[in-house]
Amino acid sequence: MSAELRERLAPLFGAARRIADPGDTLGKRARRELPDQTRLSPASVELALARCLETGASDVELGRFSSRTPKSPRSHVLLSANVFTAALRAIATGLVASPRVFVRASRREPKMAEFLAEAAPSSFSLTHELRPEPGDQVFAYGSDATFDALRRTFPEGTLLRAHGPGFGAAAVESAAVTPQEEAELARTLSYDVALFDQRGCLSPRVVWFEGPLERARSFTRAVAWALVERERELPPGELAQRERAERELQRAALTYAGHVEPAGAGFVALLEEPPPHPPELGARSLLVIACADAADAARPHAAKVTTHATAGSAQFSAKLARILAKSRASVWGKLQSPPFDGPVDLRSLPDLD
Amino acid sequence: MSFAAGPLGESDALHARVRAFARGASGDDFESLALAIARFQARYSPGFSRLVGQAPLDRVEQLPSVPADAFRVTRVAVHAAEHDAARFVTSGTTGAESGTHAFRTTDTYAELSLAFGRRALTSHGRRPTVVALADRPGERPSSSLGFMLDHFARSLDGRALDGAPFQPSAPDRYLLRASGVDLASLRRAASIAHERGEPLLVLATAFALVALIDALGGARLPLPEGSAVMQTGGYKGRSRELDPVVLRNSVAESFEIPGNSVVAEYGMTELSSQLYEGTLEGAELRAPPWTLLEPPWLRVVPVDPETLAPVAHGNVGLARFIDLANIDSAVAILTRDLVRRNELGIELLGRAPGALPRGCSLAVEALLESGRER
Repeated sequence: MSAELRERLAPLFGAARRIADPGDTLGKRARRELPDQTRLSPASVELALARCLETGASDVELGRFSSRTPKSPRSHVLLSANVFTAALRAIATGLVASPRVFVRASRREPKMAEFLAEAAPSSFSLTHELRPEPGDQVFAYGSDATFDALRRTFPEGTLLRAHGPGFGAAAVESAAVTPQEEAELARTLSYDVALFDQRGCLSPRVVWFEGPLERARSFTRAVAWALVERERELPPGELAQRERAERELQRAALTYAGHVEPAGAGFVALLEEPPPHPPELGARSLLVIACADAADAARPHAAKVTTHATAGSAQFSAKLARILAKSRASVWGKLQSPPFDGPVDLRSLPDLD
Repeated sequence: MSFAAGPLGESDALHARVRAFARGASGDDFESLALAIARFQARYSPGFSRLVGQAPLDRVEQLPSVPADAFRVTRVAVHAAEHDAARFVTSGTTGAESGTHAFRTTDTYAELSLAFGRRALTSHGRRPTVVALADRPGERPSSSLGFMLDHFARSLDGRALDGAPFQPSAPDRYLLRASGVDLASLRRAASIAHERGEPLLVLATAFALVALIDALGGARLPLPEGSAVMQTGGYKGRSRELDPVVLRNSVAESFEIPGNSVVAEYGMTELSSQLYEGTLEGAELRAPPWTLLEPPWLRVVPVDPETLAPVAHGNVGLARFIDLANIDSAVAILTRDLVRRNELGIELLGRAPGALPRGCSLAVEALLESGRER
């Protein structure tokens, strides 16, 4: 890792430290303005700033980040509204790639980028329109269809670094976990679910539970209870009408398909066998899938999993890691705080050999 | 007629009652039949029973709906898989989100789809020559559309195009190939219909019609007087998409038929009944363009996406279907299609957008949206 890169990122980390600091003027403004912008509750914004906003990185992490990032003379970054702290890593990705970075903030949530630009004005340029030139890289997130459409708007020779949709997951080997440990797993997982009101691509949406159905039922109840507890501590923000509608459609579909445990505003659904197409739940809801073999149950969906945490024997975790090889291996309660060693989603890293 | 006791016997009895209702030969009304089917499903389907909970099944308006999504998550059927007579698979845009609708019998589906299709697609009771711009359905169709096209070809036409015995899957009847539309066979079918003095009924998916327009490249393929096109389905990513008005006009121009002879059909794998426009001159169904008409055994209720309560007349809501022909699966189905009721029927307004796109770092959709605004 070069000193030049650390120097390039230093102002950005400095800005992040000011935003994370509740005593700093920028930190105070962030706490005042971000809840409205992000539709998260003030308590959720505070937790996200404390847990998910990176304010530094080790040399090892930065070295890995650099080796994972292709270089170009200029980079362009298109920010999303869903996870406000992710603006920092997205901009950092551009900075690791290039000395000159142009950032287009989300219209729905421009604040975080504005705060970073205000505190680190020389790091990157905020712009209303991305105008890449041949040889430039554009870092963007979206569906395949939108990437195709986006690609057509850029000049030939522009390199689009596309991150597709995905979700976080967890897996439990009940034979290797005590009921007491399960309750603690449920508690830590509930923070991962609650963060950003489950709008991120690292947000957990499914748990593959290997073991007897009765244990899966008990775990489902524990997660539901934990989500109710989190709701008291971290009240959910405002949901858009279509998010509420989607939640109710999914609640009804899963009531038909399995057992649904209410969990405050959301729910936890238990399916007694792996479904062909598990729905990707949101709005603080989770799907628990009872199964005889978690790795087998996860295999068909491996391409969509961005990050995963396991609880069980070393062999169990290793098997899941092999199946979910492209996803980040994480731990319970830290699914939304991956090491600062590359983009949060490692599935579509280019081959740099 | 007597029926055996138990779920299969009860199902048989309900099928008989629904078919009699559809023929107008029954003392049942829609409400009593819908409630009877719902009670049957609540008794024998644990999934539907969970949705019902403690609610009394005494009003059609309050029947809980099974979301169409449930078909992608689990089996939606009252009977055991060993009693399946057919399994129709849904096809999502990506092909990766398929669900299955299992049928214990296809008799009711076949009778009812034909009864209403005949009223929408045949003019002055004339027998048509039938071809399909669709893939060949095979011996055991895995799509409900394939099953219906096969049944229409068999029942509305029932003759081979070359004078040989009728073969529903004959290659000269299904004219969509991997390379596109088989124009030569379509011209031949039009010519045979001319010689027979009959209209040609072309059953087609939207993307096949686009393929037809592309294949013709501006040329015309005139059809006999009274001919009609049944247009169904979306594009599913298989072709470029055309504005519905442009598509309709282009098809009518290509075939030299009036625009109102292109008749939209609405169906989905999760349903057993279909809706049609009533625009074909001389057909029994009559309504202005873009209004879909329900058969007497199907009711569409636009509902609020969140509360699922019926919206006020004329307002847009999600389409909730009460389909009496869904006896062995789910009598009430909730879809993501947005609809509005007018004085005569239902207007289809597209799909509800679903949840907001999720993702951490970056968003393409926003940029494209801003580009469209410029």
